[in-house]
Amino acid sequence: MRNSPAQSVFDFITSRLPLYKLNMKDMVTEKEVPVHRMSWGYYLGGLALFFFGIQVLTGMMLLFYYEPTVSEAHESVEYITHFVTMGALIRNMHAWSASFMIFCVIAHMLTALAMKAFAKPREMTWIAGVLLVMVTFAFGFTGYLLPWNQIAVNATKVGLASIDQVGQYLPDALSHLAEEVRVTIQGAPAIGQATLSRFFALHVVILPLIVSGILGLHLLSVQLHGMSQGVEDKPKRKEKFFPFFILKDFKEWGIAFLILFVLALCLPFDSLFPYPLLEPYNALGSTPDGIKPEWYFFFVYYPMEMLPFWVIIVVMTIATLGLFAAPWIFRNSSHKTMRWIASAVAGYMIIMTLFGEQIYHAVKG
Amino acid sequence: MLELFAFVGLPYMAILICIVGVVWRLRKDPYGVTSLSSQFLEGKQLRWGSLPWHFGILLIFAGHLVAFLIPGMWQSLMSVPWLLVSVEVLGIAATLLCLIGLGVLFFRRLTTGKLQKTTKLADFVVTSLLIAQVALGLMVAGGYRWGASWSTGTLTPYVWSLVTLSPDVSVVRDMPLPIQLHMTGAWLILLILPFTRLIHMVSVPIHYLFRSPQKVVWSNPRRHEQAVTARVTQESRRHFLKAAFGLGTAGVLLSVGVLDKLGRFFQMPGMHKDEEANLLETRLRRLQLTAEEKELELERMRAEEIFVARLSELNGQAGKYFIDYAMRPGLAFKGEDGWPMLLSAKCTHLGCTVGNQVDASGRILCPCHVSYFDIKTGMPNPGAPAKAPLDKIAWVVRDQNGSEVATESARGSRTGRIDVAIADTCSLYIVKSLTLEA
Repeated sequence: MRNSPAQSVFDFITSRLPLYKLNMKDMVTEKEVPVHRMSWGYYLGGLALFFFGIQVLTGMMLLFYYEPTVSEAHESVEYITHFVTMGALIRNMHAWSASFMIFCVIAHMLTALAMKAFAKPREMTWIAGVLLVMVTFAFGFTGYLLPWNQIAVNATKVGLASIDQVGQYLPDALSHLAEEVRVTIQGAPAIGQATLSRFFALHVVILPLIVSGILGLHLLSVQLHGMSQGVEDKPKRKEKFFPFFILKDFKEWGIAFLILFVLALCLPFDSLFPYPLLEPYNALGSTPDGIKPEWYFFFVYYPMEMLPFWVIIVVMTIATLGLFAAPWIFRNSSHKTMRWIASAVAGYMIIMTLFGEQIYHAVKG
Repeated sequence: MLELFAFVGLPYMAILICIVGVVWRLRKDPYGVTSLSSQFLEGKQLRWGSLPWHFGILLIFAGHLVAFLIPGMWQSLMSVPWLLVSVEVLGIAATLLCLIGLGVLFFRRLTTGKLQKTTKLADFVVTSLLIAQVALGLMVAGGYRWGASWSTGTLTPYVWSLVTLSPDVSVVRDMPLPIQLHMTGAWLILLILPFTRLIHMVSVPIHYLFRSPQKVVWSNPRRHEQAVTARVTQESRRHFLKAAFGLGTAGVLLSVGVLDKLGRFFQMPGMHKDEEANLLETRLRRLQLTAEEKELELERMRAEEIFVARLSELNGQAGKYFIDYAMRPGLAFKGEDGWPMLLSAKCTHLGCTVGNQVDASGRILCPCHVSYFDIKTGMPNPGAPAKAPLDKIAWVVRDQNGSEVATESARGSRTGRIDVAIADTCSLYIVKSLTLEA
């Protein structure tokens, strides 16, 4: 007997978002986590969530002193760093935790890929996750500009200018479109107060709102579906989510916090930058040497420096579509294949992040 | 006389009776050396009484003991203010814990029917004595602050003088009454210890904490099964409690440290007057810079021509930066023919600002992705990331009377002629009309 179309839509939704499981028994007391050699992957999402929490908290604290205007932004950040009690600590925590969060988010995505966690019925969870990765990068990009120093503004300038580059591949009638997009994002033909205001609004209001929506859906569906099996064979052992897994989760959070706190106390995140890059942005001077984005953009930045731009566009588009469509593309792939794919991507990311600069110099001479 | 009895006679008597009494009890009735536990009769209230009391008194006792055993080291530790405050706070908290516990225990004895069958007068005496002693301790801690520190120089020598059999009451003789009473109370408790349930202090099963779990093997299979299940449950319970305790402690320690830091973040920073003035000055400077930038922008909206430089200031080695009509940076050079050359300094690759130093082959460098631009044509070097040439910028040169001498449009078409004789008196302007024409 065939179902009516309405019935099949309903079935599709209930199998993806099984709200009938919205109870203590299914979500807490009887939830179980498989134990196998990839189980460490189950903690990464929680860690990313933890660092996001730190970001929200420290971010709100920084808001008490930060002033989003081109004339005041840099001074207010300096004020936080040098005069506010524990201001440097809070700012360092925000910056270090941002890096940690991005690391965890990427690692979480790759392990989910390796464990084929996106397979039916978890497609929505996966897509929400991919969106969250993108929003996380958007957080990084917008937050980077806010201190309004030389490296921040110039790197943002370079990042946004790459949008213009798309124009050359569009048909003549549309070729100005790319520039218009950039100007709309910037709010003005050149980066200035309008850009800062927009990025500020994005960073502290709009992106957090977007995240809370998507994250809610992501977490809800994780709890509803339970953990994916993760490996080929049915795991021999399972452990209870409550209290065992969640206690371990908290333990990881405690360790993460300790590391973050000590690091933020001891090492200013910007001690790795050469000095003049942290001076206030000077719109009239020349661009200083050594402008580059944050480390988490290296995997796309260095290829962009070395390869023709159209290659980047094509690869990025394919990669993005591939990520969204993974649940359907890899529907029949084995766990082993997925592990290979994820390892290859991870290998590429690690090499590009660590050695991108050397590779770039080797290629360009 | 009374004084001598209270500070010398009573202590020796108490110690003596305590030792002799305990030995006597242990020999006479070794299995009677217990706390006479009433947990079987009533457990719920006992938990809320016995646990706080024991935790509290153990901590307090430990505190008294270190002041007695290592007075020198303790004294130097207690000279650190925050440590002293922490110890005192901890002590007072433990004292309150004791009082709460004793209160519950006392109330329980009074109100639970089952218990009263086994309650003797001695139990009330013990409890009352303990309550009085703890209350006195609290009075001392509250009324004569920082006992953790001052006791090492006063009470410790006194107790040691007793131990070394050369009693010296000179310090304690003039102490305030509550302290003296607290000391007397301590000797009294020691005195009655062998004859009451307090005797359980010498039979605390400390080894229970360290021995491995005992496995009871039953020959009956059903009982055996039950025992195993019970043991597994107990072990998982133990694991959970251990983990929860560890995490709880870590959590408390972390939050104390962290909340301290976070709290101070919101306090107004205490700044020196000079610092405040310097900060204000820097802020003002930044505001002025922004204002100047806005003025430049307004000028570019309104003015038909904008002054760039006097011709005499320009040369072919280092370009002079200016801001063009689109608020982008521009560079002005002087060519070999004496004519000015104006180029946009915004790199055609990704918009960085190009450097102004001209190299040996007449090129300027964009530092972002290493493109070299020829200053004559604006063309990038072959293979550079930048593909398009830097834009030319239209200009006009006027002599000192303001009359037009020469122009060049953005497309490069020139009019007029620059006379070498008067060149140095001429000035260079960028022109809106010629810019728009391009």
